[in-house]
Amino acid sequence: MTTTQAQAPAPQSPMTITPGKEASTLDVSVGPQHPGSGHVRLLIRVDGDYIVSIDPDVGYVHRGCEKIAESRTAVSNIPHLERPCIIDAIHLNWGYVLPIQELQGVVVPPRGQYISTIAAEMNRIMSHLYWLAINAGVFSGHTTIFMYAFGDRDLFIELAEMLTGARLTYSFLPPGGPRRDLPAEFQKRLTHLLDYFERRLVEYDRIFFSNPLVVARAKGIGVLKKEEAIRLGVTGPVLRGSGVKYDVRKVEPYGAYADLEFDIPTFEEGDSYARFMVRFEEMKQSIRIIRQALEKLPKGPIARKAPLAIPEGEAIGRVESARGEIAYFVVGDNSDKPARVKIMNGSFRNLIAMPYLIRNVHIADMPIIYGGIDYWPLEADR
Amino acid sequence: MTSHNLSREEDLVNKLKARFPEAIKESKVERERRILVAFDKDKLLDIAAFMRDELGFDHLKGVAGVDEPTHKRIKVLYFVGSFSRADIEDIILVMETELDRGNPVIASSVSVCPSAHFHERETFEMFGVKFEGHPDLRKLLTLDNWEGPPPMLKDIKFPEMAQR
Repeated sequence: MTTTQAQAPAPQSPMTITPGKEASTLDVSVGPQHPGSGHVRLLIRVDGDYIVSIDPDVGYVHRGCEKIAESRTAVSNIPHLERPCIIDAIHLNWGYVLPIQELQGVVVPPRGQYISTIAAEMNRIMSHLYWLAINAGVFSGHTTIFMYAFGDRDLFIELAEMLTGARLTYSFLPPGGPRRDLPAEFQKRLTHLLDYFERRLVEYDRIFFSNPLVVARAKGIGVLKKEEAIRLGVTGPVLRGSGVKYDVRKVEPYGAYADLEFDIPTFEEGDSYARFMVRFEEMKQSIRIIRQALEKLPKGPIARKAPLAIPEGEAIGRVESARGEIAYFVVGDNSDKPARVKIMNGSFRNLIAMPYLIRNVHIADMPIIYGGIDYWPLEADR
Repeated sequence: MTSHNLSREEDLVNKLKARFPEAIKESKVERERRILVAFDKDKLLDIAAFMRDELGFDHLKGVAGVDEPTHKRIKVLYFVGSFSRADIEDIILVMETELDRGNPVIASSVSVCPSAHFHERETFEMFGVKFEGHPDLRKLLTLDNWEGPPPMLKDIKFPEMAQR
């Protein structure tokens, strides 16, 4: 079957300013090439210095992941399904593999579960450091934290490369368990890095999270009340920043999380600063989780052989990614390709918070709210 | 390992069936924490409001379309869960309904659940499902100049996407 593409509409400048419906308002198009994360256009209506309404125009980086997934085998889907959020690839990979393993009846051995958990928590730290550098640091004009966080993130990336062979897109967890065991010296180097990183977090607190300028900039901005957060179905740090203690690692433990002790940081305020602090505290918890996992690491095989075909049936698997709950709904039909893969990820669910939060605020507050949500356009667009 | 006591899940299914004996066509507890309920599409808003107000399923995780050309139907699935009720917070309930593939129309659930806004827009453009009463049913993800049929339908093929 052929598809048709009509003539493109007249090109619109990305920074158009046109008079809005009311005489005193202007419609301003922010993006899709804005200095932060890019790839999303926010159509804002401004009245003087105030944003009256916002219409997020998403889809600039839509690549049809769900459609592609139907034409590739269960295993060869992994590299492209983890692409939408390359800074959090392990979680996108793991969430996709869980329902397939459930349909196949494959149970990953304990050592494999622990290694997956270590890799996932390293990825959470890397993702939160990326957020801290760009979405918190750059958006609030704090260039020092940008340099610090990006530099420290690279130390984790080096260890991830040592473990998986890739810096960002690991494809580390095919059905059955992780691809590799921990390399020699890995535990020693990771322990050393965690000790260093723990000291760095004290420094981060001093120069950024307790910095009066940052506090003044982010506190009380973009308040999402607890009831609203529940009603809108937001997830991850946005939800926990509004005082809802919900984390898939506790609610439906996967990997090795049931054996490990950790807290779920929540803040009641619901403002951008609360969302900042959730991620800051989560990095501390990730350190705690990795240390316990390294200590308790069981012996034995890391993976089992999984069949290539996906048996007939439907299954849902979910993990707690850095941007919240990511759930995959997979339909199998006894072939080696999934009949349907539906991705429900944190960025797309948190998108609904934008029109609610970026309203009746100063234009200058928009980056702080956007950065607090930690919206990742590629993940939302898929 | 996990226990195999499914009384919580069965209790929820029984409550739904007791309230909507005719609209609930099929229900099964797939495993611990997973419930599937197939319902009559005309009763969507009543069931959604009952689940939110009486059962405590307070948020929507996503809306998925599934195209089944051999059965001449498009299924629409709503994945719901609970944040506020600790006793059912680990359950994902899937509400499933069948639409005619030639004319897929269903009521919009935005009035009951505001977070359905973007999920329904996506299902509209990917599967052509019309959500009646949606406040702003526009395309979301595809190119502005895409005028082809809904791309996620099974008979739409993209040869360039095939496995190399």
